[in-house]
Amino acid sequence: MRYLTIALAKGRLAKQTMEMLEKIGIFCEEMKDEKTRKLIFTNEELKLRFFLAKATDVPTYVEYGAADIGFVGKDTILEEGRNLYEVLDLGFGKCRMCVCGPESAREKLQNHELIRVASKYPAIARDYFYNVKHQTVEIIKLNGSVELAPIVGLSEVIVDIVETGSTLRENGLVVLEEVCPLSARMVVNQVSMKMENERIRRLIEQMRELIRKENA
Amino acid sequence: MKDLLHTPEGVRDIYSREYAEKREIERRMESAFTRFGYEGLQTPSFEFFDIFNQERGSVASRDMFKFFDREGNTLVLRPDMTPSIARSAAKYVREEDLPAKFCYIGNTFVNNSRYQGRLKEITQAGAELIGDGSCDADAEILAMVVEALVGCGLKEFQVDVGQVEFFNGLVEAAGLSPETEEELRKRVEAKNFFSVEDFLNEQNLSEELTNAFLALPHLFGNIDILSEAEALTDHPRCRAAIRRLRDLYELCRLYGVENYISFDLGMLGKYQYYTGIIFRVFTYGSGEALGGGGRYDKLMQQFGRKAPAVGFAISIDQLMLAQSRQHLFVYAPLCREFLYYNETGRKAALAFSREMRAQNLALRLFFEPGSEETLIERAKAKKRQNPEADVFYCSGEKPERMTL
Repeated sequence: MRYLTIALAKGRLAKQTMEMLEKIGIFCEEMKDEKTRKLIFTNEELKLRFFLAKATDVPTYVEYGAADIGFVGKDTILEEGRNLYEVLDLGFGKCRMCVCGPESAREKLQNHELIRVASKYPAIARDYFYNVKHQTVEIIKLNGSVELAPIVGLSEVIVDIVETGSTLRENGLVVLEEVCPLSARMVVNQVSMKMENERIRRLIEQMRELIRKENA
Repeated sequence: MKDLLHTPEGVRDIYSREYAEKREIERRMESAFTRFGYEGLQTPSFEFFDIFNQERGSVASRDMFKFFDREGNTLVLRPDMTPSIARSAAKYVREEDLPAKFCYIGNTFVNNSRYQGRLKEITQAGAELIGDGSCDADAEILAMVVEALVGCGLKEFQVDVGQVEFFNGLVEAAGLSPETEEELRKRVEAKNFFSVEDFLNEQNLSEELTNAFLALPHLFGNIDILSEAEALTDHPRCRAAIRRLRDLYELCRLYGVENYISFDLGMLGKYQYYTGIIFRVFTYGSGEALGGGGRYDKLMQQFGRKAPAVGFAISIDQLMLAQSRQHLFVYAPLCREFLYYNETGRKAALAFSREMRAQNLALRLFFEPGSEETLIERAKAKKRQNPEADVFYCSGEKPERMTL
């Protein structure tokens, strides 16, 4: 049997995914050791290999087949736009991709004015403004603390993930429009899905069953 | 200025063993096509942009390399072979000569800058069967794909076959608008099970149709999925699609290639391009399909000739990548005979080399003016580098074999 390789987006998502996997009998003890310097973790019994990667890299690993399966947020999948099978909504990590800004910017979104949009997700922002709203905008790519941009006048609005909205509120910003809902997803390489059909399908079925039970 | 030695991103040099292996694979591919009686066809590397426009090609306009001729016409480096072959066939093949069978090996160019590590110039080998709409034609193409790949030494691979008419039948029964159909097609193609479900909840479809669409992304695997699909609907178009796949499978058995065939009814391809079967070839180690093809009965019509057509293309570069990852060795002869000679040994050396060539053997000559000592020195160094090679030196009446 070949190894199935699973890529996990580092951080909370990886932890929650591993908890789900444990419930269907897939363990990886090595991975729990916080001090380890290992990059790849194996479960010899089930012939599984796991590795942690930066979230934005997970779709890349899966698209090229370096990983057969990936667990990653919908935001990253949309932003990267890779050729993948997106097979399961894991139901956790729920949040929204939103257009946010000061209340005064609301008008600018209606008038089709040329505005500046700051975001960590330029592809998502571009797709939303060009193809959904048909508004010409200037997109500014930032790498963090995007909320700062409208406050210091770098942009009129931002496109960013909103979970509770408390950061926004504290800085006098509001959600102006919702782009799309987000959550953690399971993605599969298109070749692996076919070549390892049985094992991957069984995994998907087990996960789906678990999610159904937990939601009920 | 620093010397410019590297190639632009996405293109590369192929040399030495890799070159030999590539040529060997191309040779085996071509030989498989020829044994099926296909005729080679070479089309230009660039053509008018219109040949590859949206309905005809598989590559988006912005991903093509474009330039202009002196009259201001837009030209493109071919991103895909099929439209060129169709154009060429529409021009040269007489009605009474149909069906026509063509094969080709050539380079295609896609300007896809987003994907680093992906080549912009790849070599494709493929074939087109024009003027035969039968299931036998479909089977011949599949059998040829399998035999060509087996001939190249590939062992574990799958030709995954779909039939777009099944989806089209369901769409017709549901009366979906083109926009809705396109949206659904994208989600089914991405095997995005749950978003198909969300999408269907918004449509007001009968229970039977909803269930059928819901099942679509799951309908892949061996021949048994055809029975599952049959149970979902009795729309005549869908039934006909399944019947055609069953017939195809029977024909593949006659060709003895059924073990390589699997099915996927959720494989749909680009909007309205394919009209019947569609397939992709998968193997371990390459991460993406080695190639694929299908039936495009509306393509020839666009070049003013009504004729059904079925064909495929395999990426030689992807195939080589998969073979190297699977440690499959393709025997590719490199020159392993070397002869060093100087002025005094010239006459004998050249006579010897003529004799070798006459026997169809390869020998690489090195002229090394000077004393016998330097000659031996060089030959010895070569032998040390390539212990398995035959190294000769000649400074007198006849070549001597170098031993260490």
